[in-house]
Amino acid sequence: MKRVYFLVATGLLALLFLISMWQDTDREWTRTQRRFFKTLAKDERRGLTGGIKQTIVSNLRRVDRCTTCHLAIDKPQLALAEEPFTAHPGDYLQWHPIDKFGCTVCHGGQGLATESAAAHGDVKHWEEPLLRGPLVQASCRQCHGDLPAIQAQAPLLVKGRELFKAQGCYGCHTVHEFGQTVSSDLSEIGSKSYLLLHADFEMMPEPHDRIHWFMRKLKHPRMLNPGVRPEELPAGEEEVFPTTMPDFGLAEDQIQALTVYLLSLTAHDFPASYVTPAKPEREPSYALDVERGKAVFAKFGCTACHGIEGAGGRRNWNAGLGQEVPSLMYAKAYYGNDVDRLKDLIRHGRQPVPRADAQAPQPGLYMPPWKDRISEEELDALVAYLFSLADRLPAVPPGAAQADLPQPSATVEESATSAN
Amino acid sequence: MAEGRPSFKQYLKKTKIWKSIYRHDFTDTPKTRLQRVFGNVFLHLQPVRVAKDAIRVTYTWGLGGISFYLFLVLVVTGILLMFYYRPASVLAYQDIKDLSFAVTLGQLLRNMHRWAAHLMVVAVIFHMVRVFLTGAYKPPREYNWVVGVLLLVMTLFLSYTGYLLPWDQLALWAVTVGAQMAANSPILGNEGPFRLPFITTSNDARFGLIGGTVIGDATLIRFYVLHCIAVPFIFSIFLCVHLWRVRKDSFSKQTGEKVDVWPHLVSREFLAALLVTVILFAWSLLMNAPLEAEANLNVTPNPSKAPWYFVGLQELLVYFDPWIAGVVLPTLIIIGLVAIPYVDINPKGVGSWARMRWKRLGPLPIWYPEERPFAVSVFMLGIVMWFVLIFIGTYCRGPNWEWYWPWEEWSHRRITKFTLKDIPNVWGGLLLMSYFLLGSPIPQKVKAVLAQRAGPKAPVLASAALHLGLGILMSVALFVPLLTAADPGYPDRSRYPTLFESLGHAVNAPVMMALFQFVERAGPAAGYSLIAAIIGVLGLALGGLGMIFAKLKDRMYDELGLIKYTIVMSLLLMMMGVLAKIVLRLLFGVKYLISIPTFSFNI
Repeated sequence: MKRVYFLVATGLLALLFLISMWQDTDREWTRTQRRFFKTLAKDERRGLTGGIKQTIVSNLRRVDRCTTCHLAIDKPQLALAEEPFTAHPGDYLQWHPIDKFGCTVCHGGQGLATESAAAHGDVKHWEEPLLRGPLVQASCRQCHGDLPAIQAQAPLLVKGRELFKAQGCYGCHTVHEFGQTVSSDLSEIGSKSYLLLHADFEMMPEPHDRIHWFMRKLKHPRMLNPGVRPEELPAGEEEVFPTTMPDFGLAEDQIQALTVYLLSLTAHDFPASYVTPAKPEREPSYALDVERGKAVFAKFGCTACHGIEGAGGRRNWNAGLGQEVPSLMYAKAYYGNDVDRLKDLIRHGRQPVPRADAQAPQPGLYMPPWKDRISEEELDALVAYLFSLADRLPAVPPGAAQADLPQPSATVEESATSAN
Repeated sequence: MAEGRPSFKQYLKKTKIWKSIYRHDFTDTPKTRLQRVFGNVFLHLQPVRVAKDAIRVTYTWGLGGISFYLFLVLVVTGILLMFYYRPASVLAYQDIKDLSFAVTLGQLLRNMHRWAAHLMVVAVIFHMVRVFLTGAYKPPREYNWVVGVLLLVMTLFLSYTGYLLPWDQLALWAVTVGAQMAANSPILGNEGPFRLPFITTSNDARFGLIGGTVIGDATLIRFYVLHCIAVPFIFSIFLCVHLWRVRKDSFSKQTGEKVDVWPHLVSREFLAALLVTVILFAWSLLMNAPLEAEANLNVTPNPSKAPWYFVGLQELLVYFDPWIAGVVLPTLIIIGLVAIPYVDINPKGVGSWARMRWKRLGPLPIWYPEERPFAVSVFMLGIVMWFVLIFIGTYCRGPNWEWYWPWEEWSHRRITKFTLKDIPNVWGGLLLMSYFLLGSPIPQKVKAVLAQRAGPKAPVLASAALHLGLGILMSVALFVPLLTAADPGYPDRSRYPTLFESLGHAVNAPVMMALFQFVERAGPAAGYSLIAAIIGVLGLALGGLGMIFAKLKDRMYDELGLIKYTIVMSLLLMMMGVLAKIVLRLLFGVKYLISIPTFSFNI
């Protein structure tokens, strides 16, 4: 009887060992390589060997095994139309030789992996997803500080950065020391850990990766962060407002461009020999104070909260004045006679913002202080611009009485100053 | 080949080389059977002949041998893994990825090492349970039991140090949990109570464990050396002692005729090893060892769980202060285990599994071990508690260590609704004092004096008064503050709908909630009288439970004497107390019974 047990167990062990050896020799990449070599003529195959290929880029701390399957990536003469045997498009490899750069440093994904799902980052616990299609432009910024020079190669990245400025994101977010601290610092948002996104991932469909999180966040900020209504909470608990990030109504291509830009804001620190530094951007000169003021308005990101050209309309939960960020159209009406108060307001900000309902929590948005960021000349220009906005107001109908004009609301003003 | 000339094999067998290796021939004779065992240094660990019943599979289940075999497997796979692994924070994670993706059979090797380690922890624990249940720790084997307990502790420590080496998030944060317990140790921990004046973050127990103020390269190399050299070295020494003592103290079972170890025991051992290998191999082929994202000190996974065998202790952190749950209780567990053979003076039950029998206890049928009812029940309760705590910690705890049923999906957006309450120290102290007084016996001498002075019924009446009084006292000391006393931290902590708001501010734990709802439905008069009745019945039940064991207690006291009785009873009461505290928190919403923040003393 024991002999039978012994034989069966030994047989099983031998079988398991054979299975493991078979699994180890018949890997996904071995099949791919066989498929590729079959397409080659005998003389084409000369000099090519099988096995795991790897590029070790010690400067960048990368080991990339992508060429194990992407066998023709740097050999256009052998390339096929079918993935993964295509050649690299364009002449990028000429300027970024594989031995010096590897693959994942631009394309993302998991260089060490030798199975396609894992290598492309489509697995759990790998936080560098493959940057598919035009998203790869995000990587250019890691070395190319001088973005205008690569406008032709990375149009989305440049567009994304322009959009980031134009939408006034700097008004709340900081990127590399420039911008405000109303909301989070985005300097390293492109390598933000997924562990911090769990709560957001619960509010969006698969796939749960950084790319899709950016797209979702830009398209529907409030969907990821809808807050908690009082009726969902235990009694006595303060309600949680939805995110105060405004819905900018971005189009698909704008979202893509911004995603590329945000993906480019990584924590990677490359050796100096790889990096072309940014050229300082020349400040354009303006003939008129109003024009300069408009540029200042855009530069500091006032647009994000106060609306395009100060038209207002951005939601600010529980803020006084109709739960919105105030419009700036009436700046002249309020402060026309008292420019210094307006300047002080810009310099010192307004925090906390007067609340609509004193029992409900603080509004999320507030006017941050600008005194350390804005120069006196800029401030003068900005004021000139703000006062010029009044020209856009519809003309007072001839019959209207003086009393119908918007009056400065004394109570709100008072509470605001006392809050300061 | 010509007739008469010796064959090559026969020639070979006559050479000195052959003879010096094999020394005897392979015919199965009584002589060679003996020669095989005492002619071989490895087999010589075993006696030449052994009692037939001792080697029955169902007696030992081969657990000790399997633990030893798994240790060997771990040594072999561990050495192979060492060829591919560099213990530096920039390289370690990459090397593990290499093992998974590029090294021939690397993933299998890593899986086998990982699963064998888990299996060894299980095997060692079950081995201990087996030894306990067959009474194999009783004289003259007390010393070897102690060595075994040390080996168990070392097994856990080996596994724990190995946990860090893959340098992924799982590893880093599991080790952080453990290291934090060291920081909370009393006297020597920077965050613990009674800290010595010169203890800082850079010379406390945690610093000693992880070699720095944060987990980093110093920790990695420290754990690597501990895992690969230091602990296995000490482990091997203790293992030698353990095996040698088994041989010297002889097997606990001596019945049945004696049979030759070769082939009877050796073949069984070989088969067991083969079977374990097959299971391990299949497991390793089917399931990969976990590997999460690279370790990142800046981002903490939520929840961060310790390795599974320590999750029970981590779960205890919910109920007690870290230094109690992480340092005092484990120390008590080890002390308790070591003490077992010295306080258990019952000579019965050696060499056979505890015989179970059905018996009526009042109206209840109970299944109880006949020869050692107290020892077996208490030990098994402890083991079951340990695994229940592990189960709760592993499957019932989600983000923010909130309670989730195993079938519930975790959510990072869930809002906590469970409220808790501290019982005022006076009430809590009363409750604890009554609880520990329940353990006091009435010795024979006192009984005699009582009977002499106040009649033959006096001892029984005194016992009833003592137990029922303490029971009622406990019940009252629990419910009165829960129902009436205002919670000093009220607006900060109990921000949720409170119960019995007319009486005070209480909690929404299941039991309290049920009482509240009853008051709401049945009206205050009926409701409050029911609550009073419940308090009374619960008190009487607790007291009654004490009375049932009163005889046992008194007998134990007379048999064990003051010192042993105190040790046994305090360990038992503390173990049951941990269980009671778990119930009090989960069902009654009691946060701490006694809370003295100055000494971080919260229980």
